[in-house]
Amino acid sequence: MSRYNRRAEVNAGHARAQGVTRYYAVTYRPGGATMPTNEEFQQWMDAVACHGDKQAFAALFKYFAPRIKGFLMRSGSDAALAEELAQETMVAVWRKAASFNAEHAGVSTWIFTIARNLRISHFRRLPASNSLDEPGMWSADEQAADAPDAPDERMFIEQREHSVRQALAALPSAQAQILRLSFFDGQAHPKIAQELGIPLGTVKSRIRLAVNQLRRALDEFNPKS
Amino acid sequence: MIQHHPGEELLLTLAAGHLDSGPAVLVDAHVERCASCRAQWRQLQAIGGALIDDAEPALLETHALARTLERIDARDGTSNANGSIQRTITTPRPPLPNGAIWPRSLHGSTISRWRWMGPGMRWSRIELPHEPNASLHLLRIAPGRSLPIHSHDGIEFTQVLCGSFDDGRAVFGPGDFDAADGNVHHQPIVRDSGECVCLAYVSAPLKFDSKLAAVIGRWIGM
Ligand SMILES: [Zn+2]
Repeated sequence: MSRYNRRAEVNAGHARAQGVTRYYAVTYRPGGATMPTNEEFQQWMDAVACHGDKQAFAALFKYFAPRIKGFLMRSGSDAALAEELAQETMVAVWRKAASFNAEHAGVSTWIFTIARNLRISHFRRLPASNSLDEPGMWSADEQAADAPDAPDERMFIEQREHSVRQALAALPSAQAQILRLSFFDGQAHPKIAQELGIPLGTVKSRIRLAVNQLRRALDEFNPKS
Repeated sequence: MIQHHPGEELLLTLAAGHLDSGPAVLVDAHVERCASCRAQWRQLQAIGGALIDDAEPALLETHALARTLERIDARDGTSNANGSIQRTITTPRPPLPNGAIWPRSLHGSTISRWRWMGPGMRWSRIELPHEPNASLHLLRIAPGRSLPIHSHDGIEFTQVLCGSFDDGRAVFGPGDFDAADGNVHHQPIVRDSGECVCLAYVSAPLKFDSKLAAVIGRWIGM
């Protein structure tokens, strides 16, 4: 079963349970690689964190390392740098596995943030090991004592990860394109505007529309907010 | 209650990892304090997760896994001791008024002592370890005092740590974030409730109306 079929089924379950209508994004993927379930990711993370399980690590590596490298190459890194950062990201996954907080992010999102931070460290010429020992590149990623999150957020994380993907797929293509370019191109938005031949104001308004649409899709999933 | 937020575009640029360190420190300082921006920050990072899942898998070098495991073995044992001890050494920081707390996003930066720049007005220079030239300052202004009227050649970001000011556009209080550009010509006046401390970043020197203020601005580096 393809990852999207599997997702569609899971999400259809959620949708039926909640009695709401949703759209399903079934995207054609060349190669048709099956995505491990979020549960499998969690189990592997636990095994790495608690037992230093190298087989579980190898499973995470097999899925993520080529994708991190692909993501970084798409973002403009050359193959050698992308390989280096992908390996360093996986070293960090091993070392920081115990600090993975399933209440804040899904595994893919957590790994994205590590790869992103290592790329920043690289361009700031900080040694990779340095950034690994830091409490975190962004204080926003840590729990703020004076502004705690809802205690029962954990159960919604998986839904959030699903619904972000659904909402992305459901965005008008012009909005989705701007979001992707914002991640990939390391370019200031004025440059994106220039490249697409649209005014900067349009870029900004598409970003605002896209982010608001994402938020609406997520709010729909999360009855508390 | 936080009223003014950085907005989608800045949060997105920060989440994508493409915001320069200077502005990033301010936006990060806001997000650590603002629950609603933090929720949005996590959503935007989840886009990154989705893009990783969707990325075209690239062919790894041969033995990439073995190499990675070697790196892990090489670093286990050596790492924690040295690294974390160095990290705990922090440079002294100037005192803040009661009730104000240091944003954690300033972790690792060097913060000068308070310097006088006029009656009831002090400033401190912040140096980021990896980008010492970024124009980042703390301003500490007494109640009723105001900054000289100015406009901007670039952008000016402000994150309020304590107190509040009114610049004619709006009132900015603790936790609020403001972005001003060439379209904004303003004079922030600190309200009577107490001393106001702000974190300020400018991408280009401010354009002061008065010559004296311009001299002081150049001296401070704002
Ligand atoms: Zn906010």
